[in-house]
Amino acid sequence: MPSTRNNRIDEGLSKLIEYILPELEDEDEDEDLKANALELAQGMIDSHVALAYADDPAHIANIIKTKCVWKLIRDNRTSDKALRFHNLYSRLLTLPLIKKKGAILHLLHELSEEPERNTASRASERPSTAVIDSRAPSRAETESTRRPSKATTVRDEEEFDASVPPKPFLAPERGDGKTGEPTKAALLAGINPPLDPSEVTLLKDMPFTLQGVSSKNLTFFPENTLKLPSNLPVPLISLLHTLAEPALLYRSLSAFVEESDAIEDKGGLVGQSLSAAIGNELKAYLSLVAGLEGEIRRATLSLAEDDPHGLAVRKVGVTLRRCMIWTREATMGLRLMAAIVGESKGKRGGQLISIIHGFSTSHGDPFVFNFAKRLLTSVTRPFYDLLRRWVYDGELTDPYLEFYVIEQSEEAIMEANAERRGYASSVWQDKYKLDTEMIPTIMTPEFANKVFLIGKSLNFIRYGCEDSEWVEKYSKTTSKALSHDDYASLEQNIDEAYKITMERLMYLMNKKFNLFEHLCALKKFLLLGQGDFIALLMESLSSNLDRPANTLYRHNLTAQLEHAIRGSNAQFESQEVLRRLDARMLELSHGEIGWDVFTLEYKIDPPVDVIVTTYGSREYLKVFNFLWRIKRVEFALGSAWKKYMTGARGVLASVADKVGNDWKVARCCIAEMIHFVAQLQYYILFQVIEPSWEKLKATMEKPGVTLDDLIDAHKAYLNSITRKGLLGGGSTNSKSRQPETSFLAQLHEILKNMLAYKDAMDGLYSCSVAEFTRRQATSALIDARTAAGKWGVTESDTNTPYEFGQQVKKHSLRHKKVDIISDSDSDSDSDSDDGDLPGIRQRLKTLTIEFQARTAVLLGDLANQSDTDMRFLGVMFSFNDFYVVKKGKGKTVVERRTAQRGDETPA
Amino acid sequence: MSGRGTPATAGGGNSAARQVIDILHEISTLLNTKLDRTTLSLCVSLIENGVNPEALAAVIKELRKESERLQEEEDDEN
Repeated sequence: MPSTRNNRIDEGLSKLIEYILPELEDEDEDEDLKANALELAQGMIDSHVALAYADDPAHIANIIKTKCVWKLIRDNRTSDKALRFHNLYSRLLTLPLIKKKGAILHLLHELSEEPERNTASRASERPSTAVIDSRAPSRAETESTRRPSKATTVRDEEEFDASVPPKPFLAPERGDGKTGEPTKAALLAGINPPLDPSEVTLLKDMPFTLQGVSSKNLTFFPENTLKLPSNLPVPLISLLHTLAEPALLYRSLSAFVEESDAIEDKGGLVGQSLSAAIGNELKAYLSLVAGLEGEIRRATLSLAEDDPHGLAVRKVGVTLRRCMIWTREATMGLRLMAAIVGESKGKRGGQLISIIHGFSTSHGDPFVFNFAKRLLTSVTRPFYDLLRRWVYDGELTDPYLEFYVIEQSEEAIMEANAERRGYASSVWQDKYKLDTEMIPTIMTPEFANKVFLIGKSLNFIRYGCEDSEWVEKYSKTTSKALSHDDYASLEQNIDEAYKITMERLMYLMNKKFNLFEHLCALKKFLLLGQGDFIALLMESLSSNLDRPANTLYRHNLTAQLEHAIRGSNAQFESQEVLRRLDARMLELSHGEIGWDVFTLEYKIDPPVDVIVTTYGSREYLKVFNFLWRIKRVEFALGSAWKKYMTGARGVLASVADKVGNDWKVARCCIAEMIHFVAQLQYYILFQVIEPSWEKLKATMEKPGVTLDDLIDAHKAYLNSITRKGLLGGGSTNSKSRQPETSFLAQLHEILKNMLAYKDAMDGLYSCSVAEFTRRQATSALIDARTAAGKWGVTESDTNTPYEFGQQVKKHSLRHKKVDIISDSDSDSDSDSDDGDLPGIRQRLKTLTIEFQARTAVLLGDLANQSDTDMRFLGVMFSFNDFYVVKKGKGKTVVERRTAQRGDETPA
Repeated sequence: MSGRGTPATAGGGNSAARQVIDILHEISTLLNTKLDRTTLSLCVSLIENGVNPEALAAVIKELRKESERLQEEEDDEN
């Protein structure tokens, strides 16, 4: 095809010539000219056919773009040219029609001219033949003279001034005619005086520098400074500055890696794995440097071989700038690692992970993000090992204290106990502690807490519940390797483990250790829930407990307890429960009677004592003692009431003329007291204990309840009982209240008052009985005298009442006529005459007044309570407004309704 | 390749060829080559036929100079 092709070329050329050259008037001349031109053109073209030309459109496009940018630097008018060119270029690339895109672009590039240069190009004309000859040598010449460019400096500066050909067409000096555009590096190299350590030398040094090794020109002077040769031009210096960064970072990082290798304990396992991970990254960096070195060596070799084409090699080969680009990414990695290392000083474990995690989440740069993530995966490995051991075995193997769970030493536990008055001396509460500082940010606080609970539960199951078999089985079946790669599945695994562990723990608590049963028993026995048992116990114990405390014996008590259990529904309780129930005496203090020291006890073993702690048991005992006291008063008042009521039908009725009024008043008062006690008991049992119990039960039956929930619920249960049951009622605003006037103290006073009143009434009763006996004896004597035919009552009898009394007594003793209804103590009282009666009256009166005053104060305090239940208790005490509560400013005055005093007793 | 190169550029009839020329023309104005569409299409066809672009560029420049010279001569004559 060459002939046809040539024909086509010729045809095209002639068309071109015709088109470009103007028509001449003289046709011959015209033809001649055109023929000449054609010939010339053909010659030019033929001479170039041999030159192989790389048809690379991208290369040309790059050159053109650079040119556009170049222009941009010179005048920013044409700022959008590069962009526009790029658009057009990419559109051109998509067109399939033409093959030699690069060549066409090249042509256009060759023809492109600066507007102002057009006129200049006209100026000189040269024979076109010279063109062909001069081209190649001129290029070679320019390039060979470029580097040792003392002579060419001036010319090069001109070239720099105008990147487009400044000289007329085909000027011999125009060196880089072929590629048109010198690269920036070439230009930089061109304008500057020869470099002392030349760029090539610096390049050869670069691999060493990048590895942090000193070389001839670039020396690391102290530990962290790189000394640059002083006589380099500024652009090169800035390049070297950039290249020095990875070198220095590498030096410091490798120092860190070596150091932390030496002192293993310094950063713990996580710190160690961090240094290992950094070491790996540094290895990757070194291999990059090695690759770079290879490139540099190859480039410098070829440079040395054919120096004339040195520039061409440098275009495709290695320059300092290119080194900088290649090391850029590695530099960022090094920089990040240096930042991590800098921040990780003195941190350990979870904190260390938090730092790295901070980089991987909070950093917007995807490179940093990915890098930190990669680092994190290897750094967290020991952490996840710890986590796995903790979550699946319940063991903490943390020799360097890196995990966020801390095992407490024995001393620390003791200390904590002392601090909290022995609130919870359990494995559960104190053995492990959560250190929130150490929780790495890769997990949320809830998640961390879950993990903490799982491990703690497993540990507790193993050591507290002695069920290590299950733990081992569990860890065998479920143990999975945890890692940072898949956070979602990790979370899922943990959730699962959490569920299983908690279920198991609750199962153990409920089934193996009968937690619920124990709580029930506590409520039944210590909180007087089992009424028949308590009533029987009190009845059988009452005579014993009336005696002084030091005459009580424990075997008596336990015998009575056994009796009470047998005699009541308590006998149907399980043996397990009854075994734990015990009656005992509190520490004796002088002068107390049995009532004060008696107590029931319910023994709690581990591991249930996690929930019912020793402190809790003490609270139970406190509540029991209080309730027992109320019960006792109720019992005493009840039995007294019974006695008086029976008495009222018999003995008392016959002496009504003398003590009737006293009895009436006393009965009113004692009824008031009974009402008070009844309401108090009702309140404690039904307003306080039962609702709290319901709440506790609801919590226990909730699905997915944890031991911690139970402990909290039980604590709340006890708290509400002790607080609301008036026991600790004063503690809510204890600041304003004196301890003497706290509710508990007030109630104790009132109860004491009631017992005293009951004693006084017993006195009144014996008085009445004595009076009754006397009257009976008198009437019997009179009967006897009448029977003997004497006057029933003689004058001497009325005159000497004492002697008459003696006679009556003798008579009654003789005849045993008097049916003794009175108590044993009435015997002693019977000696005392009715001279004692005013004293008893007085006593009753003062006690009544005292009781009423105390009740009034209590009601006033209750009315001011913030707790509605406790206010309600006040309301119940005076449900029919028997007590009028007047709220004054700051002070509440309670009065009884004096008008209805006698007849309106509370029901 | 020569067989297919010429008709497209020489004829300029189909739209694809016109598109090519459009784009190239735009680039050439951008680069300030002072080529009009006809010259451009001629050049493209030449290059597609294997003409060395550098040589062609030299030819065009030479021709331009020549034409300028002729123009000046004419002006002088006039």
